[in-house]
Amino acid sequence: MNALPPPPLRTRLWALCTSLKAAIVLASLATLLAMGGSLVIHFNPQLFGDLDQRTLGSWLAANLPGHPFRAGWLVLLTVLMVLLAGNTLCCFFDWLFRLRARWRKLGEYLLHLGFLLIVTGYLWGSVAGDRSSGNQLREGETVPLSGKPGWYLRLDRFEAVPGPGGRPVDMRSSVTLLHGDQPEKSATIRINHPLLWEDLVILPESFGRSPSGFRFLAAGGRSIDLGPGTVARIARGVELQVLDFYPDSVVDGAGRTLRRGETLVDPALRLALVKADGTRWTGWYRLRTGVPAELAGLGLDLQPREPLFQTFTVLTINRDPGARLALSGAAAMLLGTTLALVSFYRKRRLGDRPSIT
Amino acid sequence: MPDLTRILLGSVFGCYLLAVLLYLLALGRTGPATGRAALVLVSGGFLLQSACLAQRWWSAGYLPVTNLFATQFFFSWALAATFLYFELRYRIKAAGLFVILLNLLLLGSALPRDPKIPPLIPSLDTPLFTLHIGFSFFGYAFFAMAFSLGVLFLIQQRRPTPLLPPLAELRRLNEEAIFLGFCLFSFCMLWGSLWAYLAWGFYFSWNIKAFWSFIVWLFYAGMCHAKFVRRWQGTGYAWLSIAGFGVVLFTYLGIGLLMASNHPLD
Repeated sequence: MNALPPPPLRTRLWALCTSLKAAIVLASLATLLAMGGSLVIHFNPQLFGDLDQRTLGSWLAANLPGHPFRAGWLVLLTVLMVLLAGNTLCCFFDWLFRLRARWRKLGEYLLHLGFLLIVTGYLWGSVAGDRSSGNQLREGETVPLSGKPGWYLRLDRFEAVPGPGGRPVDMRSSVTLLHGDQPEKSATIRINHPLLWEDLVILPESFGRSPSGFRFLAAGGRSIDLGPGTVARIARGVELQVLDFYPDSVVDGAGRTLRRGETLVDPALRLALVKADGTRWTGWYRLRTGVPAELAGLGLDLQPREPLFQTFTVLTINRDPGARLALSGAAAMLLGTTLALVSFYRKRRLGDRPSIT
Repeated sequence: MPDLTRILLGSVFGCYLLAVLLYLLALGRTGPATGRAALVLVSGGFLLQSACLAQRWWSAGYLPVTNLFATQFFFSWALAATFLYFELRYRIKAAGLFVILLNLLLLGSALPRDPKIPPLIPSLDTPLFTLHIGFSFFGYAFFAMAFSLGVLFLIQQRRPTPLLPPLAELRRLNEEAIFLGFCLFSFCMLWGSLWAYLAWGFYFSWNIKAFWSFIVWLFYAGMCHAKFVRRWQGTGYAWLSIAGFGVVLFTYLGIGLLMASNHPLD
């Protein structure tokens, strides 16, 4: 009896790529590695603490060279997942080639396709995406979007929604996405309701308030609010303009007033006095040191009373070009799992048993 | 309302406790009446527990599963539902005893805790949360059933007894529990990922709880493939079911109680 010739290399290679045992080995290795890796994450919070704030690609680029032993397992896990996704892709094609005979496995193979799309989407987003948190915006303010040249985000309105006890329970930010100066999309974002636009997801993170100016008591008991942009007509045709406000200022050796911080410690206003004849004076009114002589000379005794605050929203702006692919994968997986469940009960009713390798 | 909850909880616990005693009794005597009475008690307990869950859901306005008491209570309800699924479909009797015992343990440890429903934090106020949690605990419940069936498979293999279903039946039930648990847990992962994307801007988190949920999914995905490999069928699958439930317990309780995560239990 003649021995059968060994199958060609191409056939053997394809058998390896579609091997069920290869899938089990890869899944087992990935599981064990992930278990160990999770402990590395847990015991190294200083290294892995910002892993969710960055894409995997940028995190690895920043941390792998400095911590090859503690961060290296993530590379290995990625390789294993890529191999598992490759095996899934080959199995999916193998099923497609024999679709006529194996169409009853549609659910299971949609699940495979879904997994493949999710892994691919995640890797794409990890390499080409971008995550940015802590973006502070005040009403009317516009910020450029990182990774999308020519695109901007403007905050039109912000409102903290109080709960029954008065504590804020939600944050509503009305924002407009601008391409150049053209509005592309406007939306009110709040918790669980982000702005989704192409590969962008913009969502509320928190909010706060920062000092934006001061309330003063002027002559005759009149109160006047001064902040950047305020223009007030005062006595004898003189105009007072507020050019800038520093919540905390310091004077350097050269006599220049500098911004030291955002906490209200040593506030200062940069003022301009424009007279009717066109003469102009600009200078700083450092609230702790007293009214500048130029103001006092005009009889303008502005006594500081209380700070003024402006609320700002803090937004997360993430860009993930793979998100739509992953979402398609999730839909395929959802449908596949549902079909697999239906098919399972049908097979049980017909007395089918799983094939054995 | 907590009083009504306590009364209902006490009654549910009583039903399950009596059912366990009757099932144990049925192990000694083979009279079918004892087993039937135990099934009636489990069904009664499950109906009362469902009423209690509905009442708590109604009064809170959301599925109350945001602290340890509430998750234990919901897990216990899912376990009872899973037991009833197998019992009514396959008449597994003593094979489901472990699940009812686990259920009793969960409910017993939940009873001393405060059943008060905490206010819902805004990020949890979405139907995606309800879907995520609901499927998660049903997945866990099927994995617990698979654990039970795995242990019983090994017992039946080493010390055959007519009190347990035959080995082939135990193997088939174990595979079914794993497959159904995996499907339900896949739903949990999918809804959870979608919710995470809308709430935090990414659908895969490296937070330890989320990461271990992925590990659970990957482990059982591997198991769903392993049932097609002859070497892993039967004994190997039983051991994997036991190991898998260890991973589930660590993910549910170990991380929630011992480690800092974004899924705190208390």
